[in-house]
Amino acid sequence: MTEKITVYEPDRFIRLGFFAVWREMVLNLVMSKELIWRLFLRDFSAKYRQSILGIIWAIINPILTVSIFIFLNRAGILNIGETSAPYPIFALLGISIYGIFSTGLSVSSNSIIGAGSMVVKINFPKISLVIASMGQAIVDFLIRAILVIILLIIYRFIPSWTFIFFPFVLLPLIILTLGLGLILSLLAGVLRDIIHLVSFLTTLLLFMVPALYPAPRSGIFADLNRWNPLSHLITACRDIIISSGLTDPFGFLWASVISILIFLISWRIFFLSETRIAERV
Amino acid sequence: MKDKTVLKVEHLSKKYCKELRHTMLYGIQDIARNAIGLSSDSGRIRNGEFWALDDVSFEVKRGETLGIIGANGSGKTTLLKLLNGIFMPDKGRIEIRGKVGALIEIGAGFHPMLTGRENIYINGTILGMSKKEIDKKFDEIVDFSGIGDFIDAPVKHYSSGMYVRLGFAVAVHCEPDILLIDEVLAVGDEGFRRKCISKLNEFKSAGKAIVLVSHSMELIQGYCNHVIWVDSGVIKSIDTPLKVIDKYLRHIVDIRQTAVKRGRRWGSGDATITNSQLLDADGKEVTKIKAGDEVSVVAKVKFKESVENPVFGMLLKNSEGTWVYGTNTMWQHRRFNTFYDGEEISVTFKQKMHLVSNVYYIDLAVAYSDAITSCEWWENALMFSVETSEQAVGIANLNSEIFVG
Repeated sequence: MTEKITVYEPDRFIRLGFFAVWREMVLNLVMSKELIWRLFLRDFSAKYRQSILGIIWAIINPILTVSIFIFLNRAGILNIGETSAPYPIFALLGISIYGIFSTGLSVSSNSIIGAGSMVVKINFPKISLVIASMGQAIVDFLIRAILVIILLIIYRFIPSWTFIFFPFVLLPLIILTLGLGLILSLLAGVLRDIIHLVSFLTTLLLFMVPALYPAPRSGIFADLNRWNPLSHLITACRDIIISSGLTDPFGFLWASVISILIFLISWRIFFLSETRIAERV
Repeated sequence: MKDKTVLKVEHLSKKYCKELRHTMLYGIQDIARNAIGLSSDSGRIRNGEFWALDDVSFEVKRGETLGIIGANGSGKTTLLKLLNGIFMPDKGRIEIRGKVGALIEIGAGFHPMLTGRENIYINGTILGMSKKEIDKKFDEIVDFSGIGDFIDAPVKHYSSGMYVRLGFAVAVHCEPDILLIDEVLAVGDEGFRRKCISKLNEFKSAGKAIVLVSHSMELIQGYCNHVIWVDSGVIKSIDTPLKVIDKYLRHIVDIRQTAVKRGRRWGSGDATITNSQLLDADGKEVTKIKAGDEVSVVAKVKFKESVENPVFGMLLKNSEGTWVYGTNTMWQHRRFNTFYDGEEISVTFKQKMHLVSNVYYIDLAVAYSDAITSCEWWENALMFSVETSEQAVGIANLNSEIFVG
């Protein structure tokens, strides 16, 4: 029988070397997959067990926001312009996709400090808390997707066949959210203000990305969108469903590369400093 | 195999920070340093930091139990958290062979809205069990916890005892090679306590190592091979239970005596106890005695009103608050006439202290003739330690002679 030998000492990972740390990180993640699933189930059943309105809450917010925009558009206060699908479909799809990012970011940045004494009293891979919390954002999205399907039927709008690639196009957005979530959950352990900052930023960003309106072709917003990877990811996710393929494949590509880089860097920082969090929470 | 060291701690140190401002600053600094691959340079004390644990070294072999004692805030829990890998050392090194199971806080990670059944699966997974392992052990866990039909009720409806029992049951069934326990056997009723202790014995005979933090000298003396006494982050003593506990208790008596912490008093005040003393056979005042010594507990009582047929009593308790012995004049069929205002008397309780080594407290009381309503009750009026030459556990010292053959 070979027993596992564990050594704890300062600067353990520096001694281990650059590539060996990546190996440890992957092993750690693979080891955590059962825990991630359990924690996700825990959050899921706890959230929906005692609230009949659980599902309603997930859709009430996007419906309200989209309704306001429809009203502003009809009243002529806001000029949305041409969209490739009826506006309610376009906007609801956009805000649902954006919801993955905004809900995901707020739950994941709160996941470590929200776990309470568990973080300080038990040794387990903390990354599983962050990844499991992302599950909530995806469940919310699936609930909203039902609403989108209902709208598609009402408007008799047939989505492009390319929608079967949607899960793959969505992946970079999830990776970006997770990357930011990892680093924010870590910082939130030290600085609680991060939580408030995140809710402010996600509200602000909703209007800076083409979720409720098509990407403008000129002007300051066009420039902002061009350099914002989030804009490319959201546009790509929606295009694949309603406009038969990607309208800006190159933009999607570099945004995906950036997302993966952000994720890898955050993951590494998270892995190297997760024990610091137990000291500070 | 038998003598294999499973836990080796060398010059272990850990620092803490007193102020929140520094905590946040240093926290971000450390994370930034780690992120870019710089050494945390943790061996250095920064402004506002102190060593919570300083240069601690010890070893635990298979089948051994190590006890850790010390006052609150002395660094015991920090040590356990380091052994469990929740914190990283700032200096020194920890080497562990095999799987570590920790009972630092029972039921951490329980979700109040979910049922006991669901929480067993969640908690088990957090502690590193696979679904298959939990499935296999599920009935055993439920059986051990004694939760019964409540297993499918949300844990928020559990009593605090049930909560702890379920948490303990999950933790001991995750089959660790080294078990870390932080003062958890103190909770739960007597039956469950016995179950836990027999489980610990099972661990021991299976060759597993246990590190046990406890305030219960009884438990430490009964179950540990070695004991560490930690005081303000440094090891004061590391030896056999008998020797370490003896030093520790003597230390406690010394600091408490000088602090003159002599407990609360309550009652009508018709009579007060003006002075209390513990005297040895020569009439000398003592705070440390040998087991079996004859001592006198002397209470000076002053009456402020007339009290007819009062009852004088004493209660001896050990450091865990367990009542060792109590007696009073009524139970010994003594009747007195009325004592009048201003009268001063002295009451002496003389006995042989057949006790095991521990710290003991004595409550003194003067009550009305019903022996229930007190004129004055003085809690912990006296405190003393008992030293023995032989090791023994329990409450009383029966001085057994053992014949073999």
